[in-house]
Amino acid sequence: MARLELDSVTKRFGEGDGSVLAVDDVNVDIADGEFLVLVGPSGCGKSTTLRMVAGLESITDGEIRLDGDRMNEQGPAERDIAMVFQSYALYPHMTVRQNMRFGLEESTSLGDEEMDARVDETAELLDITELLDRKPGALSGGQRQRVALGRAIVREPKAFLMDEPLSNLDAKLRSQMRTELQQLQADLDTTTVYVTHDQTEAMTMGDRIAILDAGELQQVATPLEAYHRPANQFVAGFIGEPSMNFVDCAVEEATLVDGAFRYPLGDEVGGAVDAAADVTLGIRPEDLSVDGADGDAAGGDHAFDATVTVVEPMGDENVVHLSLADGPDLVATVNGLRRIESGTDVTVGIPENAIHVFDGDSGDALHNRSLDDAELDDARV
Amino acid sequence: MSAADRLQTTVAGLDRTRIALYAVLLAMVAFYLAPLESGFMTAFKTPDGFRTTTPFAPPPLGEFTVSAWGTAFERLSTGLLNSALMAVPATVLSALFGSLAAYGLTNLSWRGQLGVLVLFVAGVFIPYQAVLVPLTQFWSFVDLGGRIPLEIVSANEGLINLSITHVAYGIPICTVLFRSYYATIDDEMLEAARLDGASAATIYRRIILPLSIPIFAVTLIYQFTQIWNDLLFAIVLVSNPSNQVVTVALNQLQGSFVQQFNLQMAGAFVAALPTLVVYVLFGEQFAKGVAGDS
Repeated sequence: MARLELDSVTKRFGEGDGSVLAVDDVNVDIADGEFLVLVGPSGCGKSTTLRMVAGLESITDGEIRLDGDRMNEQGPAERDIAMVFQSYALYPHMTVRQNMRFGLEESTSLGDEEMDARVDETAELLDITELLDRKPGALSGGQRQRVALGRAIVREPKAFLMDEPLSNLDAKLRSQMRTELQQLQADLDTTTVYVTHDQTEAMTMGDRIAILDAGELQQVATPLEAYHRPANQFVAGFIGEPSMNFVDCAVEEATLVDGAFRYPLGDEVGGAVDAAADVTLGIRPEDLSVDGADGDAAGGDHAFDATVTVVEPMGDENVVHLSLADGPDLVATVNGLRRIESGTDVTVGIPENAIHVFDGDSGDALHNRSLDDAELDDARV
Repeated sequence: MSAADRLQTTVAGLDRTRIALYAVLLAMVAFYLAPLESGFMTAFKTPDGFRTTTPFAPPPLGEFTVSAWGTAFERLSTGLLNSALMAVPATVLSALFGSLAAYGLTNLSWRGQLGVLVLFVAGVFIPYQAVLVPLTQFWSFVDLGGRIPLEIVSANEGLINLSITHVAYGIPICTVLFRSYYATIDDEMLEAARLDGASAATIYRRIILPLSIPIFAVTLIYQFTQIWNDLLFAIVLVSNPSNQVVTVALNQLQGSFVQQFNLQMAGAFVAALPTLVVYVLFGEQFAKGVAGDS
């Protein structure tokens, strides 16, 4: 258990002109026992960051501290960190027991009986006791995953690093393991850094999520904060499924204009955006009201005529693709029990209290949705 | 489908192209096996027998004998022993060093490793003839027998020189063979081992080595055959007759006045037998030793 600090961590591959900046000045402070999810599209530097923490990649610049101690120069073996890999990385010629004992044999001075006791205890925790004498080749994907976890847990390290550990599992097993991993982490109370490209995993598992793009840290926040108060357009678009709708607009006298599409702003939002010339309007699909039947938050000049182009029924909700008469295409989600046919004309409300406005150049959030009516306690957001 | 039906289908399938194909295949089998068969038959014939019959015919009545085998074995026995003393350590060491070098060049990362790898690959292509003179000069300079005043060294100096030479010249090809295998080993697994606290040496001993059994079998078969069958280095480097290896001894079964074909043929089979034995032994190991087999 430990506090893990990443202080201006930078990674550059190669030297001179041909070098590639993979991780750019990342600062994260991970509290003891915290579950931090590092999320971003592929190639964003999240795995590289994790590998620097593990000691598998050198750190070009900055410092990584574990419990206040500088880790940069220490090899992976000296850091007392365990890692779970996407490929599980089990030793194929060893039984499950030998796999789990390997780390204990190499990094501790425990006696044979103590090691076996630790392995048995961990195996029981993960419910893999009956697999102990089998070799990895004889296990299913889910079982291998548990063994890989067990190999990390049995060493009782200061921190767990997980590199997309669930991405090789099928969807059903993945959601089951997601819950189990959360419980396990809560029980063990060990600092954990979890890398994924899957925003659902990020949202559901982490105490906090750190969103990376092109090597740069975009935001570190609780999942709900990242969802409702994204720091910029990238975070807003990355978190949430289906993605937030974006409409590029010009600001003209407290009105957002995109061709014939005109969206008048009230004083509060208008004040936030009046310094900018080009902005992007953002609205989550679930905040759009279709035909006003979902709620009457949108009135008069925030209501627009639209045609339904495609309906994707998901069961619990319908994803409705809309084409506004005045221009932009939007995606809305409505209750799964509502019947909406493609081709019908509807009225779409864009409630002003749910809109986000981002700067057109930098993408930074100028205004985030109001949460006045939300039942969120401040500690979580 | 019954056996009769199957046979009928098979026969029906024998159209003209197929028959021609089998005929060609059979002819090729006969062509390639003829020398072996002739040698085997000749080895069982008396001198009169091999003079009066064609080589591939079986020995005629009264001309059958196994005496050539006895003589061949007797005259090659020292050579067999010397060859074994020389080839077994040379094979094992070149495979082991090749494996270590391949591990260092493939699974560890350090500055300048590509340059070193290029040297290893270049080593594969060195023609033996090109190094004969420097090699003899090198060994006469080293002068093992003179430097290490031990009876066992001076008595076997030729064999030791030969063995070390084969190890040195075997390492490049062994390294290349092991490298292609080690390149397929999961990097994440080795990283997991590093995080588990294992040093580079421990990873080699506890993970790489146990997973290398199949490629060790391949390399051991290949190297043993190469080293056992080598004649060039043996002629050049071994001058002491008591250190003569089997290939040189076999060469001397050729009589100077009378050609004793039966003896030469029997000798050739005796000399080739160990490579066959090794092939059978490790061939099985190769089939069995697939990694992750449970």
